[in-house]
Amino acid sequence: MLQLSAAIAGLVTGGAYALMGLSTLLTYRLVAVVNFAQAAVGAFGAFAMVVLHEAGLPLFPAIVCGLVVAAVVHMGLGVVMVRWFSEASEGVKAAVTIATFTALVAVGLRLFGAQHPHRFPSPFDSPAVTVGGVVVTWTAVVTMVLAVLFAVLPTVLLKRTRIGLLLRALSERPTTAELIGIRVPRLSMVVWGAAGAASALAIMIVAPQLASDFSSQALLITPALAAALVGGFRSFTWTFVGGVALGVLQGLASTVVAFQQYRGVLPFLVILVVLLWTRRRDRWDSMA
Amino acid sequence: MRKHLKAGAVFATAALTASVLAGCGSGGGGDTIKIGAVAGLTGQFITAEVAKTAQRVFDDANDKGGINGKKIEYIVKDDAGNPQRTAQVARELADTGVVAMAGSASFTDCDVNDGFYRQQKLNSVMAVAATPKCFQSPNIAPVNVGPFTLMTAVLLHASQKLGDKNICNFTSLLPGNEEAVKEALTRWEKISGQTLKVNDLTVPQSGDLTPYLLKAKQADCDAILFNPAESLVVPWLQAAKTQGMDDVDYLLLAPAYTDSVAKAVGGLGLNVYAGSEFEPFTSASLANKGWRDTVTRADAQATAFSQGGYLAAKFMVDVLKTIKGDVTRETVGAALREMTPIEDPMLGTPWEFGPGESHSPNQGSKIVRLTGLRWVVVDDTFITVPNA
Repeated sequence: MLQLSAAIAGLVTGGAYALMGLSTLLTYRLVAVVNFAQAAVGAFGAFAMVVLHEAGLPLFPAIVCGLVVAAVVHMGLGVVMVRWFSEASEGVKAAVTIATFTALVAVGLRLFGAQHPHRFPSPFDSPAVTVGGVVVTWTAVVTMVLAVLFAVLPTVLLKRTRIGLLLRALSERPTTAELIGIRVPRLSMVVWGAAGAASALAIMIVAPQLASDFSSQALLITPALAAALVGGFRSFTWTFVGGVALGVLQGLASTVVAFQQYRGVLPFLVILVVLLWTRRRDRWDSMA
Repeated sequence: MRKHLKAGAVFATAALTASVLAGCGSGGGGDTIKIGAVAGLTGQFITAEVAKTAQRVFDDANDKGGINGKKIEYIVKDDAGNPQRTAQVARELADTGVVAMAGSASFTDCDVNDGFYRQQKLNSVMAVAATPKCFQSPNIAPVNVGPFTLMTAVLLHASQKLGDKNICNFTSLLPGNEEAVKEALTRWEKISGQTLKVNDLTVPQSGDLTPYLLKAKQADCDAILFNPAESLVVPWLQAAKTQGMDDVDYLLLAPAYTDSVAKAVGGLGLNVYAGSEFEPFTSASLANKGWRDTVTRADAQATAFSQGGYLAAKFMVDVLKTIKGDVTRETVGAALREMTPIEDPMLGTPWEFGPGESHSPNQGSKIVRLTGLRWVVVDDTFITVPNA
């Protein structure tokens, strides 16, 4: 019974992981960057929202400002990528985002304070249903719905629309895309901005349930990457499934005495297993 | 032009030599008494108000004529919560010729510098100590109760004052803490004769805490002790409220006893208790008058940490005054070991450094309760933890 309750409680965290994983996948699919700073950018926007809200700005304008802040920060990273690293390998780009992650965490701690908790507004905090002895809040429901949207919208956008076609061209052959007349810099800025705002929205929703300090939020990137890896850095659906499953697994692990202290390691374990499985046919000596 | 440069170089060399010589003199030969402190002025664990308050205490002592006519020079170094910096700044302080440390508030100070302090014969009167090492060194004596004794104290409050039967513990361990936490829990079990219904030491520092609350709910806990930092206390209590656990007594430690926690979760209407390290800082009592006056004049934030800074500096001044003759590391060390215990209304037990191999002089805590958006003192007597 406790296992069932814990698994249901894990769905909430799973939704959060899925949201973050999908934002990360969005950036990867559209501009071909594995962005380790994705959650940090989102946290930046979310904290900007909280600070403005605490300063007396009503909730809705504060949320909009937070989204804009995240979009601008992410576009800043985008400018760096487009100007200096557009022809660089994925590894180099990822390394740049890791550096950005470190910088953002340092600046975030400075700006938003490390110690005293900010109170994240949680408008959906009222109980929705009680399942298996667990009270599920509307936040959980909203998180799930948003995660499904994040999974479905990009798929439709990429497959069914002209802009999606342009975006795919942009991510797969940026130089060729530019040569056939797509305005690459402008389009990729829009993508960077949108992905930044999306991750800020994700963090705003999940922040009230998790530790309310900047670095904890920024570290959501680990389960997010695990989720994206389950989706093979391609499939939005499987990324969603991966995120939710990881949350449920963590919930379950907290009830099993033998595993509970290794709960934090689970995302890494998932990453390892997925890598081993997807590379199972590779011959190790031919990899180099 | 060239001549100027040369003169400058000579001057610089002279200044350098002078400062090196002063450093070698162990402070005894200088015209000030140098006291050092390691604090987090930047980084994750910011304790700027501690040093500010301690500085005010030393300035006050200087305004009254100093120690035997010598002024106290208080040197605070920022370690930014980074262990390498913690080690480095302690060495810098030793090189400047500090005779003792007072009012340090760094999370890593004890673990990194204990050996160095012993080797340098430096003694530290710590303002805020949070790791087991701070309570296990012959050269370090904190003024605060510390997280371990405090665990025992809040558990005693639940078992003795609140009459709770099913008491549960959900603790997040930091590296090196396990033994001290277990000792604190055993101490409570011995004193109260009760055993913990659930004892979970695997709580993570991040992520959703609902599964742990469900475990507590299933075990029918009347009281739940939870130790992590401020940033996790808010989601912990919010999740508890969501799961409808309104009848439980939530026991928290000093890090949760802040105004921002009160503002963030006061509205939930849960029974939340926290143990204080000193006379509760939110109380307008007479005991707090000296500190409150000092912290206001220092223009520092009035937190529990700043109480630590105030007391550490005050005790150091009191001890320095007892020294006849030269103030050196050796004489300060001897004075600390031979001092008569100081009774202070902000503490539940008299404070002394003393000759022991380890020091935890402060064994008393007052319990505060979240009432509305404020912390209110429950019972105006200190809970003094007896030796088990």
